[in-house]
Amino acid sequence: MAAETPLRDLSNSKKANRADRAFSRVITGAAFTSLIILAGITIFLGAKAVPVIQDQGLSFLTTTVWDTIGVPPEYGIAGMLYGSILLAVIALVIAVPVSIFLAVFMVFIAPTRVSKFLTNLVDLMAAIPSVIIGLWAFYVLVPPAQEWQSLLNQYLGWIPIFANESGNFTGTPFIAGVVLAIMMIPIVTSVTAEVLKRTPPELINAAESLGCSMWTMLRYVALPFGRGGIVGGVMLGLGRALGETIAVFFVLKIVFDINFFNIIESGGGSVATLIVSKFGETSGDFEVDVLLAAGFFLFLMTLVVNMLANLIVRRTERLKS
Amino acid sequence: MTTLMSEAPEIREQDLVPQRPWSKRPTSFWLAALLGTAVPLSFAGVLYFTTEIAAPLLLIVVYLPLQLVSAGVAGYVAKGKHGILDSGLIVFAIGSTILSAVILGSMLATIIARGFEALRPSFIFQNSVYISPSTPLDYGGVGHAIVGTFLIVGIATIISVPLGIATAVYVTEIRGRAVPYVRFFVQAMSGVPSVVAGLFVLTVFILTGVMRQSALAGAIAYAILMLPTVARTAEEVLRLVPEDLRTGALALGSTRSRVVFNVVLPAARTGVITAMLLGVARVVGETAPLLLTALKNDQTVVNPFSDPISALPTFIFDNVAQPYPDAVTRAWGAALVLMVIVAVLFTLTRLLSGRNSMNK
Repeated sequence: MAAETPLRDLSNSKKANRADRAFSRVITGAAFTSLIILAGITIFLGAKAVPVIQDQGLSFLTTTVWDTIGVPPEYGIAGMLYGSILLAVIALVIAVPVSIFLAVFMVFIAPTRVSKFLTNLVDLMAAIPSVIIGLWAFYVLVPPAQEWQSLLNQYLGWIPIFANESGNFTGTPFIAGVVLAIMMIPIVTSVTAEVLKRTPPELINAAESLGCSMWTMLRYVALPFGRGGIVGGVMLGLGRALGETIAVFFVLKIVFDINFFNIIESGGGSVATLIVSKFGETSGDFEVDVLLAAGFFLFLMTLVVNMLANLIVRRTERLKS
Repeated sequence: MTTLMSEAPEIREQDLVPQRPWSKRPTSFWLAALLGTAVPLSFAGVLYFTTEIAAPLLLIVVYLPLQLVSAGVAGYVAKGKHGILDSGLIVFAIGSTILSAVILGSMLATIIARGFEALRPSFIFQNSVYISPSTPLDYGGVGHAIVGTFLIVGIATIISVPLGIATAVYVTEIRGRAVPYVRFFVQAMSGVPSVVAGLFVLTVFILTGVMRQSALAGAIAYAILMLPTVARTAEEVLRLVPEDLRTGALALGSTRSRVVFNVVLPAARTGVITAMLLGVARVVGETAPLLLTALKNDQTVVNPFSDPISALPTFIFDNVAQPYPDAVTRAWGAALVLMVIVAVLFTLTRLLSGRNSMNK
């Protein structure tokens, strides 16, 4: 499209008049704001991370102690990094099936009017601020969730992940994962519904006329067609789950020891939540620097996940057009 | 040439291929679904009221298998072997839908029910000076936080909307060589966690002593989060402006800036406003950046440069886990006010984008 259009960049064209050239240059400059900000985050937070890494070496990423005023200080975010990933995995396990089924219902099963209503419902769900989800989770979700967890422990406690020795079911990674799943569902659902809607109707009609059932059609036509888009949507949701701070703050008890897999045992970690919970009670400027370093690694983690997600989504879009 | 071409009636793919024939379902389908649900539901209901089995256990161990079996039978009767898998799919699809609807319904119902307990004129208009967590609800309110939210979001809008629109104009109007890179960076930026935006402002502006923790600092953090939303939405709407309008204006001798300001942007007016509103909706409830860059303040602050300032999200954050019931009710009240703002933005964007697609 760009090749045959008469519009092109005039910033350096000798033929263009001065106003056009100036306009093009100003707009081009403004368009690079996002690059400047991304570079700024990398440079400024990275600069703060360097002394911290020099102080602790790579053990900053492998230590499970938080003692920034000790002599010598010893601290690390291993528990937080692992916790962030654990929470994201729990959230994925819950949110992905629910989102795909919901999207399938919206696109292939529900009557048009119900489908439109559900689209609005999903969008509204995405618009609810995380602090309100945290408030709701703290007062409405946690009490019954404690009961669910004790039931899980009672009947499935012999499976290691459902073990709980303390009898305390508050502040568990499981609840935090459920909250993150609630925040992921609208993102994954809307992307999935969008790609499922784009399945060429000829393919579906062909499948139907060959006598395929709905399940067969989904399994062999719609899902393979939308696979890339769905994976991209899931990774966008994953990026949000890794960076989520406030909703997790209210439902997760932060502990620095790594909670490897006891998901219904009290205590877990999250880099983003660590930053906010420690910022309010910092013991001096040095701890702020340590938190900035933690933020730098959080930024790198989400940046990689998000870039991968966008690459996958874009590649599938290009294949289809 | 292009204008002549576009006058010919366009044959769209949709006219040739019948749309969604699979979406028409006979009444018997819904009847079977209803009957196949009523039986296991009533059985589980009877067990719930007559025995002591815990509700979640009943739901998963008794109701779900029964529901799958009964739907499977209905599917087998209707469509034979294929019907069984289909019925399972439909059970899980409807189940996921109900689950999501229950979650959203529960959130909205609690916000409204608990929020109204706090709501009264003084709650909207007063600030929280001299208010402790245990003060009765008749005194003090979130007036200062409402002012704070509007101030911070307002400044963030002033910063991010021109930059976002300029980014979109670069991609759709200037069409320079860097277009793919600009789009890539905008997308990468949309994944920046809100707490990282707060940390960035903290390092660059506050720890260096350029500014204090204030509405302006919070607004810069908000603007970082808004920019990608505004840029991406604006790009989408500018793409909808017909190419003929641009070439026509250029042929009449307009400069490039004239084309953008007098033709393209006015043509995409409602879309540009939608982009702005979506950006505002993206950030209005963000808490983490404000905790780092704006702190809190019980007074009403209108000077964006001088003092720490409270906004609705930070007010909620401060009151959530308080041991005093009145403080918690205040948090719900603030959540209701914030939710009303979000709902207004949501409805406005819906109405505007509806009008936009009609103009097409």
